[in-house]
Amino acid sequence: MKDYFSFTKELFDPSKTKEKPEVFKGIRVLDFSHVIFGPIAARLLAQYGAEVIKIELPFYGDLWRFGVYWGKFWKHSSVCFHFVQYNKHFLSVDLRSPKGKELIYKLAENADVVVENFAAGTAEAWGVGYSQLSKINPKIIYLSCATYGQYGPLRFFPGWDLLAQAASGAISLTGYPGTDKYYKLPDYIGDYLPGNVGALSLVMALYHRRKTGKGQYIDLAQSEALMRILPNFTYFSITNEELERVGNTDPTMAPSGIFKSHDGNFVALAAATEEQFKALSSAMGRKELAAKYKDGFERLKPENAKELYKIAQEWVSQKDSAEIVNLAKEHGFPVAEVMDDFQIANDEWRRERGSVVVFNDDMYREFVLPGPSAMLSKTPGRTKWLSRPLGYHNRYVLKRLFGLSEEEIKKLEKERVIGYWDDRPGIKPPVYYDMEKDPVFNYQGDGESKAHE
Amino acid sequence: MSKGKEKEQVLVRYGIAKREREQFLANMISPDGKPEALDGIVVLDASYANFSGIIVASLFAEFGAEVIKIEPPEGDPSRKITPYGVNVNGVGIPFLAEARNKRYLTLDIRTEDGRRDFGKLAAKADALIETFPAGQMDSWGIGYRQLSQTNPGLIYIAITPYGQYTDRAKEFRNLPDSDITSQAASGVAANIGDPDTSPEPYSWPLKAGAWLGWYISGLEAALGGAIALMYKGATGEGQMIDVASADAYASLVGYPVIIGYSWEKARPRIGRHDFTLYPYGFWKSKDGIVAIAAPRDHDFRALLKILKLWKIEDDWRFTFDRIPDILEQIEELYGLIEAATVKYTSDELIKMSLEYSLKAARSKWRGGGVPIIMKVQKPSDAMKNPHWNIRKAFQEFDDKTLGKFTIPANFVKMSDSPPRVKWISCDIGKDNDYIRKKYLAD
Repeated sequence: MKDYFSFTKELFDPSKTKEKPEVFKGIRVLDFSHVIFGPIAARLLAQYGAEVIKIELPFYGDLWRFGVYWGKFWKHSSVCFHFVQYNKHFLSVDLRSPKGKELIYKLAENADVVVENFAAGTAEAWGVGYSQLSKINPKIIYLSCATYGQYGPLRFFPGWDLLAQAASGAISLTGYPGTDKYYKLPDYIGDYLPGNVGALSLVMALYHRRKTGKGQYIDLAQSEALMRILPNFTYFSITNEELERVGNTDPTMAPSGIFKSHDGNFVALAAATEEQFKALSSAMGRKELAAKYKDGFERLKPENAKELYKIAQEWVSQKDSAEIVNLAKEHGFPVAEVMDDFQIANDEWRRERGSVVVFNDDMYREFVLPGPSAMLSKTPGRTKWLSRPLGYHNRYVLKRLFGLSEEEIKKLEKERVIGYWDDRPGIKPPVYYDMEKDPVFNYQGDGESKAHE
Repeated sequence: MSKGKEKEQVLVRYGIAKREREQFLANMISPDGKPEALDGIVVLDASYANFSGIIVASLFAEFGAEVIKIEPPEGDPSRKITPYGVNVNGVGIPFLAEARNKRYLTLDIRTEDGRRDFGKLAAKADALIETFPAGQMDSWGIGYRQLSQTNPGLIYIAITPYGQYTDRAKEFRNLPDSDITSQAASGVAANIGDPDTSPEPYSWPLKAGAWLGWYISGLEAALGGAIALMYKGATGEGQMIDVASADAYASLVGYPVIIGYSWEKARPRIGRHDFTLYPYGFWKSKDGIVAIAAPRDHDFRALLKILKLWKIEDDWRFTFDRIPDILEQIEELYGLIEAATVKYTSDELIKMSLEYSLKAARSKWRGGGVPIIMKVQKPSDAMKNPHWNIRKAFQEFDDKTLGKFTIPANFVKMSDSPPRVKWISCDIGKDNDYIRKKYLAD
């Protein structure tokens, strides 16, 4: 039999991704959402083949088009927006106007999924809520995302990831004990993680619809999704004590921590089980420790964990990080060097794996972005195009789906029902790009365009 | 706030009362009596000393699958991974909190007998979860390669630090997984902590206080598994799913990769500040800490108004003034805001922001801004908030052997096939008879 790693290399070969089928081909998603929380749920479906039509207000666009780190735009666009919005169709319709609404209702007739993340009740007030769209299409699956959900006394509180972190308690868990300094979980994880939960619930609803033919309404509160990952509530209910901040150690593993090695690198190290603790003890040349702490619960008691933390810290400080990694491989205990943004983006291993992808886009050219979090051997996720300027797919969507003529589209433009970018970075194309020659933007309506296959 | 007044605010904000919708929403909060999406799906959880596997299994079980946790006679070591060793009858807190709707079978797959039974079970399963070193199951004859021969519909989920393919995966295959190492390798730790001008260890990379590594790996594996179930529904074919926990965070949020590439360097740690939005963080109030988000221009101005700080508007009026790229400058603004917030209690600040937002929404010109203020709560405070009680976000149990405890549940409300927790149980081998009779009788 073939070596296991040759077998898996072939099974997951990233260069074969394009040839493999897409699970959600034929699934159409209307995406009214903005910023991160809702959009990432729709994008995860797009990553696996769904046709996502992102609807934005003409001349304004999604707020996150301007969501850049330290004010830095990249080719007049936001890299953060690219990551949240790739593979989508960018339709810019004013859904406040009667004609715009008519277009949206027509789209809803053949849509499978709707995603929105306005303040609770807003979509209903604008006439595009579940109660309205499910009358047009009873099989529709409708995901409403909000910080506190659609029901309950806090429902009209607006929110961001930060507020969900504050309301769920997640914000109070990171930092050093005995200080008054807290750290929020970084990178809007309070949007991304709940957004992924949203995608999971959408897939479950699609699966349910496969069996029963029924659509449904989904009320996702980002605070609740964050609460789901915290054992703190259960801990409190049993001990009547709060799990306090612990700095750079994990109270469920002893020893555990992020330490500084002899050569000045930061190394995370842990012993989660008795087996791993034994391995670590022998790597440290301290086998007597394994004999002393045979029981896992005993080892985790605060005074013992503190002693072991000091021993591990001392040991790491005397060794180079590479040496520690080698010992971990040899003996079998968890170790990882702390990786920063630059290292992760340029990591050979991740590029070979396909979890960091060098992508060549028609408009933005080379861009490096993460691949899928989970590698699926038969139906892998993929990036097909990056985000596009505001209203880029107007013609493509309206001509292809509704067979509108060029005259009708021009009329909609004149009436400001559909619209495009202005001169602000974030919503306009890169300077070097010639929009006149773009086959998708100037879509002629000649049947199936090859541009997006 | 009285009920009548609240209703009035609803009317003001949206123009119409949506009684019908409110009724519909109230009815969908409870999952009781509704069908389950994964009814009839059989999942084997052979994960070992790895919570991401346990979390995938929980999520499937909450959506209705029959999940069988497979353990050696001494139990999965995950049972002992718990804060400060706190346990209930030998079961740690995280294991207890994730012991949702599961069946327990003792089966030692390190032995040949165990592997024979495991193969029989896998032949009848829809999905399988394992966290052994890459290639271990294969060398035992029960890897994806062998099991998919007898059961082509099997969805095989493997979670390890560095995945199932590439040279790195092979080289590091014996390295066990943990949450803290996943956080370190995937970019969480590098992005939390104080600037490098601060004293050690505050300037060091800092671990997040939640299990971000394990929960993200678990969630992503579950999402991959659900997508594979859709494919199986259409074609009958299973597949293999490979999750690397060293990727978890970077793949989920994207930032480490896209900034590492486009900026060509790593972000420095900036403590309590945010690198895109400002003000977006937390400030002291008279009686605690509040989180404030007022990043858009009109939100920021609204915040200045309610904090009676309008006199500084001229100095900070442009977004560019508030981009936190110059730390001294942003610390100055932080101080100005804090000098104002400490004059009020958290509740007063929240009330001020709400009243302002309502007034702004009522005005014809809607550019009034929405400065959002919320109390920073500890988990125990959050548990007491009546909002979550109404939404059934927490579920209490009173078990004969496990005693009284609470778990966060019903994490998403669905009108037709919601997830739910039907029971919590942890006893090793509790369902041996049931499973042997149902799946291993022949």
